[in-house]
Amino acid sequence: MAPLLDIRGLTRRFGGVVAVKALDLTVGEGEFVSLIGPNGAGKTTTFNMISGLERLDGGEVRFAGRSIQGLTPEAIAALGLARTFQHGRVFANLSVEDNVLLGAHTRLRAVKPRLPVIGPLAELVLALVRPPAVKKEEQALKAEAREILNLFGERLTPRLDHPAYSLSYANRRRVEIARALALRPRLLLLDEPTAGMNPTETAEMQALIATLKGRGVTILLIEHKLDLVMQLSDRVYVLDDGVKIAEGPPEKVRNDPAVIEAYLGHREIGRAASSVEVVAS
Amino acid sequence: MSEALLRLDRVNTFYGPVQVHFDLSLQVGRGRIVSLLGGNASGKSTTMKIILGLLAPRSGTVEFDGARIDGWPTHRVIRAGIGSVPEARRIFPLMSVRENLLMGAYGRADRKAVGEDLERMLTLFPRVAERINQRAGVLSGGEQQMLAMARALMGRPRLILMDEPTMGLSPLFVDRVLELIAEINRQGVTVFMVEQNANLALQIAHEGYVLQTGRIVLQGAAALLRGDPRIREAYLGGAAAA
Amino acid sequence: MSSFIDYTVNGLVVGNIYALLAVGLALIFGVANLINFAHGSVYTFGAYIGWAAVTFLHTPLPVTMLIVFVACAGLGVVIERVGLRPLQGKARIAPLLATIGLSFVLDQLVQLVFSPDPRAVPSDLPDWRLAVGDGSIGAMDILIAAVGLASAALLYVFLRFTKLGFAVRATAQDREAAQQMGVNVDAVNSAVFAIASALGGLSGLLVGMYYNHIDPAMSFQATLKGVVAQVIGGVGNVPGAIVGSLLLGLTESYGIALLGTTYRNLFAFVLLIAFLLWLPNGLFGGRATIQSEPLVGSFIAPSRPIRLPRWAVAALALAAFALPLATSAPYLLQTLTNAWLAAMLALSLTLIAGTAGQISFGHAGLLAIGGYASALLALDLGAPPILSIPAAGLITAGLGALLVFPAFRLRGHYIAIATLAIGEIVSLVILNWEGLTGGAMGLTGIPPLSFLGQDIFSNRAIYWLCLAIVVSLAALQARFLNSHFGRTLRAVREDEIAARSYGIKLDRYKGLAFAFGGFGAGVSGAIAAHLYSYLNNQTFDSQLSLLALTMVILGGMGNVLGAIVGAVALVGLPELFRVAAEYRILIYGVVLLLLIRFRPQGLLGTV
Repeated sequence: MAPLLDIRGLTRRFGGVVAVKALDLTVGEGEFVSLIGPNGAGKTTTFNMISGLERLDGGEVRFAGRSIQGLTPEAIAALGLARTFQHGRVFANLSVEDNVLLGAHTRLRAVKPRLPVIGPLAELVLALVRPPAVKKEEQALKAEAREILNLFGERLTPRLDHPAYSLSYANRRRVEIARALALRPRLLLLDEPTAGMNPTETAEMQALIATLKGRGVTILLIEHKLDLVMQLSDRVYVLDDGVKIAEGPPEKVRNDPAVIEAYLGHREIGRAASSVEVVAS
Repeated sequence: MSEALLRLDRVNTFYGPVQVHFDLSLQVGRGRIVSLLGGNASGKSTTMKIILGLLAPRSGTVEFDGARIDGWPTHRVIRAGIGSVPEARRIFPLMSVRENLLMGAYGRADRKAVGEDLERMLTLFPRVAERINQRAGVLSGGEQQMLAMARALMGRPRLILMDEPTMGLSPLFVDRVLELIAEINRQGVTVFMVEQNANLALQIAHEGYVLQTGRIVLQGAAALLRGDPRIREAYLGGAAAA
Repeated sequence: MSSFIDYTVNGLVVGNIYALLAVGLALIFGVANLINFAHGSVYTFGAYIGWAAVTFLHTPLPVTMLIVFVACAGLGVVIERVGLRPLQGKARIAPLLATIGLSFVLDQLVQLVFSPDPRAVPSDLPDWRLAVGDGSIGAMDILIAAVGLASAALLYVFLRFTKLGFAVRATAQDREAAQQMGVNVDAVNSAVFAIASALGGLSGLLVGMYYNHIDPAMSFQATLKGVVAQVIGGVGNVPGAIVGSLLLGLTESYGIALLGTTYRNLFAFVLLIAFLLWLPNGLFGGRATIQSEPLVGSFIAPSRPIRLPRWAVAALALAAFALPLATSAPYLLQTLTNAWLAAMLALSLTLIAGTAGQISFGHAGLLAIGGYASALLALDLGAPPILSIPAAGLITAGLGALLVFPAFRLRGHYIAIATLAIGEIVSLVILNWEGLTGGAMGLTGIPPLSFLGQDIFSNRAIYWLCLAIVVSLAALQARFLNSHFGRTLRAVREDEIAARSYGIKLDRYKGLAFAFGGFGAGVSGAIAAHLYSYLNNQTFDSQLSLLALTMVILGGMGNVLGAIVGAVALVGLPELFRVAAEYRILIYGVVLLLLIRFRPQGLLGTV
């Protein structure tokens, strides 16, 4: 069977700089794949291209058996792809609950009937009249949103009606993930979900992501915290300077010297190091 | 430890309702290279903003050379003798390389000495010299980094702040930038740099601080930090229990 | 004036005048990221200072110019201090709104001091004209060209070779980096406002001399022309502004030659819209568009809206309905009826600008469409108002959404400029489509409101009708704000990128917002048409658009009850306290300035 996400030769340039160069990457149904590499390696650009926010300069992206390049982000979301953003893009003035409910936008049927031409007007009228079917769908969705928020323990449930801007950085990231889950994604792209989290919060997030994995959610993860990546991933891709420098199961990647150098920096820095010796002595 | 040129004392910073720094204290000794390490969103760049006066701390103090500078507008902080190499370089893309360098000397009135310093920079940064009359926006990332460093030095700072100077550079340029930082320091300029790349930074730094979600979790001599397994844990490790 | 050369000379002269305005706007946009809507007021101020100097002090031209230059530079510094500096770190739209408030105040002050009557600016220039081909060039033309060229040259030298000029360019390219070079960016802003305003003032003086006519109402059009020229050349681009101005001047001049003077502004605004849509970076827009950051709460002031309990809202509505039973004072009832009409407009705008985040500066255009639609249905087809008014609402909904549709992809300042231009275009089409609209003569004899053939003249009945419509519109709006639809509109406002990534089609929701809002505004315009019995292209002018915006901000962006409160406060209260007409705009301006500075979330809070 073809992988759920199948990327071939993905390329993106900004001016003269090649941000992503001929990247091949696949994610199978139910798989947990991580994308790691130093800042500026092209990871987020890759996410942006998959989700339709950034155009491709070359290559092909196939999702769920069809080519999705050139589709708008909203069309790609409707196919079952949800993502979070590196720096967090919650709807700041909306409540936690509203944020999560918006995640389910693509799934609404009664609220947003799929009628040609008059669909938008029907939606407007239904919002005013609210027949039982619409009410029922909204109620069901609210119950589901609570369930999703319960995944985060006591972190978000006491703050259902707080505007997102008033949340801590870590809580905003949680809201983003909750919003993504409300889409019931076939593929979930997580962009550094633990950025700005302390060890306790990171451990909590790791447990949550493990739960999602256990439930069979297909996940592509960008993350800097290697322990988390190594423990959860089925496979890992390593990107440096827009180029894939390694891929494979975690234990293989972990010991790859090219990865260690790219990710942690150079062990040997030649003349720079020696000149420091001079200063120090 | 030598006398502190820069000292942050129990700084607490907020973005709206969200706290970024928790009782952050650190100091940078005169003539040293000190590195502030940490992952994304740990509060590193915000520390730079606090020092530069681009952001005001809610509480705590910032002292430079014995004077309290928190609450000062940025231009005053700069003119007091601090040079800045901002994150992502932030050169002036539509100005020529020469004009960028002259902007670095904006606060100075000694025209003749500025001219001499310009010559000095061109010797120190030959890659920049080759491009002197071009628009800065067309320079490569590495060249822009050199330009940003030269520009900061044009102000004859006693302390230079560098925010992620090696980010996005090719390995060749990374080495060159580190060499230059060491060279600048040798010439008497104190360096305070923010870096994500821990191994790199600790190669040239004398002391290091590790920041995690707004708190200093580790500090000490670079040589000691380099071998400390906790740094990897605190900094890249993720789940502490693991 | 007849020959091609004459039209060319005229186009270049007018272009030079625009250039003096546009260059200042470009400089200000560069360093402060702000479209200065008070710029036209400085131009008017300059014209009047010059007029006063010549009339009372009999100053020779060079001295007059110097006086204007210095006075306007001073005014520029004041504008920066009041309109920009205190608002740093506030919502990005805040300084723009502040300059609108300042323009209200300045225009009104000029009018109070110098009277609203037009004046002639005497000129001591010689009267000769130089024949060129089959046209001619006069001393005035040469003076204006010389001032334009000299200003451009001086500006070039200033920006290229002086220290302050370096600082201006650096600040424009990267404000934070400039600060980190030791540039005092506040001082730079101040200097730029001084220079820009001095040039703007000179422009006003020259225009006064050229047309031998100045009046306090010329500010707004001047700002708009400067903005158009800037968009053509690329917003914030100084040489671009000069080229854009000359092009605009020539286009207008040739356009007038072909079609007549009433088409002048139509050309300008059509050009503006065309550029916004197809070349948003202008002719020289080399600078790539920067992906806009998420507006994380920076667009409107975050706040906890004040929620009145249901019974209190119901009690207020009941009291409003009961009022005519307690009093039949016609003045009070008519005043409040006007307030209810304004409230319909404010409800519409608070939905579009507040809830959906599409700041509309041309909302009066929707009133005009509704008013004309209903009037024409009644006059030409004999439709009774009970049918023509809702039909006008629907027509406005459709036409409104359709007209703004091409602008949906614009954001922030640009959507504001585009809606402003669309509003102006509506008014200009009405002016020029004489066959349908009667042009400047307008429509007369629009039938009064009626029900089942019975004309309604009673103040009470009209009051109740309007109030009932306001209450129903408000109830509907409140109802769908609470639905998934309302939630979706707010998501569009908060972060377009995130919204799209969750499957929200932006055009669909912006379109629906304009359609629903258009309906309410159209109904308001339609009722007004039947009440006034007369309409022309100036009945619903751009000042009304800006007043509507003030109401909405006063009540709290997106706040349904707030929109009604804002309308009553700004339309009803000044009338009830019999504030003299000439002070009203002054009050609006001051209210706007105070709000933006001290209570940006409005009285009842943003939703």
